[in-house]
This record gives sequence, structure tokens and C-alpha cells, in this order.
Amino acid sequence: MKLPPQILRLVLVAMAIVGSYLIARAVLTPPTFGEYGWYRGAALNLIASREPVFAGKQACDECHSDILHNLAKDAHKTLSCEGCHGVSREHSNNPDILPVKATGSHCIRCHEANLARPVWLKQIIVKDHYGPKCTECHLPHQPTKSP
Amino acid sequence: MGGAIAGLFMISAARAAKAAVQTVLVSTSAPKGYDPTQHKWLMCVDDNKCIGCGLCAEACKKENGVPEGPYFRTWIERYIIPKPKPGSGQTRGEAIVDSPNGGIPNGGVSAFPEPTLPKDQIEHAFFVPKLCNLCENPPCVQVCPVGATFRAPDGAVLVDPKYCIGCAFCVQACPYGARFLNPVTKTAEKCTLCYHRITRNLKPACVEICPAEARIFGDLNNLHTDDPIQKFYEKNRVQVLKPHLGTEPRVLYAGLDKEVR
Repeated sequence: MKLPPQILRLVLVAMAIVGSYLIARAVLTPPTFGEYGWYRGAALNLIASREPVFAGKQACDECHSDILHNLAKDAHKTLSCEGCHGVSREHSNNPDILPVKATGSHCIRCHEANLARPVWLKQIIVKDHYGPKCTECHLPHQPTKSP
Repeated sequence: MGGAIAGLFMISAARAAKAAVQTVLVSTSAPKGYDPTQHKWLMCVDDNKCIGCGLCAEACKKENGVPEGPYFRTWIERYIIPKPKPGSGQTRGEAIVDSPNGGIPNGGVSAFPEPTLPKDQIEHAFFVPKLCNLCENPPCVQVCPVGATFRAPDGAVLVDPKYCIGCAFCVQACPYGARFLNPVTKTAEKCTLCYHRITRNLKPACVEICPAEARIFGDLNNLHTDDPIQKFYEKNRVQVLKPHLGTEPRVLYAGLDKEVR
């Protein structure tokens, strides 16, 4: 049986349309698309490729385990080193680069009285509290002890 | 017919070549050996512990290079519930929610100033840390017209910065206000759970820095004995934000007030 020419032309046109779609899709789809779902699998690596900024408590523990040991005994045990000492990634890679020096304003940041703060947190009204310097009476790493 | 098959072969060969070139060109310092299908991340917030210091919001900005200004991937809100007006028959007044500079203090002093309302008119006040709620059914992913935002197999909702066109549909769709358009890159941005940290076995910056352990982070697929997540579950009754929307968040809160949305 021979196809009528008009049908043959229609089939050819349809095949050309479908074919060009398939070619376009093959060229335009990113290679890792569909690796995990309807998105570029390579995007996960791209997002993960950023360098971390904060070194983390574990990095501090490598050299300063004595301080961390004292810290763990007192009320400040939950604090992270870099919360007061600032970003210390460079310091953890090269001990000659010193981290930012912690100052008294770090104490106020958490301990200044605020109505919205939970009651279990020790709070002071700074202007009514004795002393120009917190560290005169309180050891930052062991806050219940005095120097 | 033979030509068509040959053509298809050529296309597949070209694709393989393209993939090889891209892997060489895009080879970054991305951590090797991280398999997103082997993890299931979960973030918990113990709201009884939040002291509103703003360290998490500040650390997040530093860690992720978020531009200065009103752009936050995580932030702290303060809720003030006033006492009801006498004789109004209500149990409590209308909540006042504020978040100056996302909870980040200027110059390292107390993040939130004392409430403007007199003390005797306040029923109670508290802080709530907010972040992307890592929905199981994320509305932001549904509305993205170019498929640039997606939910990774490990539970993190991420934005492909190369494919985002900055249309901000997702910013509008997010019921938790967790997204914004980065004014520098002009693409949508959000909490990635510090994806570059968690893939290297580090905690997200906000969890690392929180002095009160109000944020608890863990991997449900690799729970170890006395995992903080496990302890949190055992100790607390948890809830999620806006459960009626059916987004199924993976950020669980303990100790929330009913006013918190």
C-alpha cells in the first residue's frame, strides 16, 4: 500500500517538528538536570563550594582545650568561642593572626535587662550595676568565679 | 531512518562531551563524598531559650556574605503582648511585633531596646528566631518559572544562582517571609542551612554561634546516641509555624505562643 502524498508530507512535517524539539531539548538541558529531581544536580555542588567563614568550636579545641575545659565547667558552657572572639578562621589556620579582642560590650549584648529575655538568664541594668569593667569582677570563661 | 539514529548518537556524544567540559570548568572546592540522598536535615528551635542577642542573625550575614541593609536569611522577632483594656472582655491585647535591623545590634550593644510600652501594661514578651522553614511542600518551589529553586533530597530548599532570573515570585510565595532579592546579584536568596558548612560536617553558623543552644540542628538519617535532636524531641512538645497552610515545615519550634505566625 502506498501512502497518499499529502499524508506523507504531514508525517514528514510532524517528524521534523518532533525531531527539532528533541534536538533542542538535548542541547539546552543542563547535563546534570534530573540527577536528583527537576533541577540541576550541579547546583548543589555550586552552593556547597562556598568557603566556610566561622571555624567552629572544634577547631578551637585543637589548641585551646584547657580553656574549653574550664568553660565547660561553668554557666558559659553553651557559648561558642567565636561569639565573643569574632570570626577566627584565619587564626585557626595561622596562629600568628590574632582574633578580634573580646570587649565588655559582648557581655551587655546578652546580659542587659530586657523584658523579653527569659527569666533564667542573669540580667543586669548596666547603669545601676557596679563597675566600669565586667572583667574586674567576673571571669568571662568562668562567670561565677572572680579573678 | 539510519540518518536519524546516527543523529541521535551524535547528540548523545555531544552531550557527554559537554558534560565532561562542564565538570572540568565547574570543578570547585566543593566537598567530595557528600551524598545528599544519605542525609535528612532538621532544624529545631527551643523558644524558651532564645535570649534575643542577635548573634545568629549577625553570624548568618557574615557566613553567607549577605549584603548590608534589610536583608536577612535568619532574624529575630520580638513579640510584646500587652494586657487587655479593662472591661474589654479580652484575655490579652493585640501583639506588637518588632525586629529592628533583624535583631542585630548596632555597635555590639543590646540588640533590642527596652519596649516602649510601660512595664505594667505588658502581659508578657519574648523573642522568636525565624528562618526558612524547610517545607516538605514548599510554595516557593512551585511558583518558580525557571525551576531554579528546588528541594534537595537532604531537605534543604536551595536556589540555583546561575538559573535564577530574579523575578521574585518565590519572595511573594513564601508564607514565612524567608526570601529576599539580593541587591548585588539580583537573584533570590534564602537560608541554605549553611549548605557549604553542613556538607563539610560543620554546624550552620547560627547554630554554631547561638550562646543559649536555642537552635538545635541534626541529621535524622544519622542520629547518634544522645543526639541533641533526640533529646529535644523527648523533652519538648513541638509545633510548626502556619500548619494550616499544609507546607509541612521541617523547622520545629518548642515553647511558642499562639500569636507567633
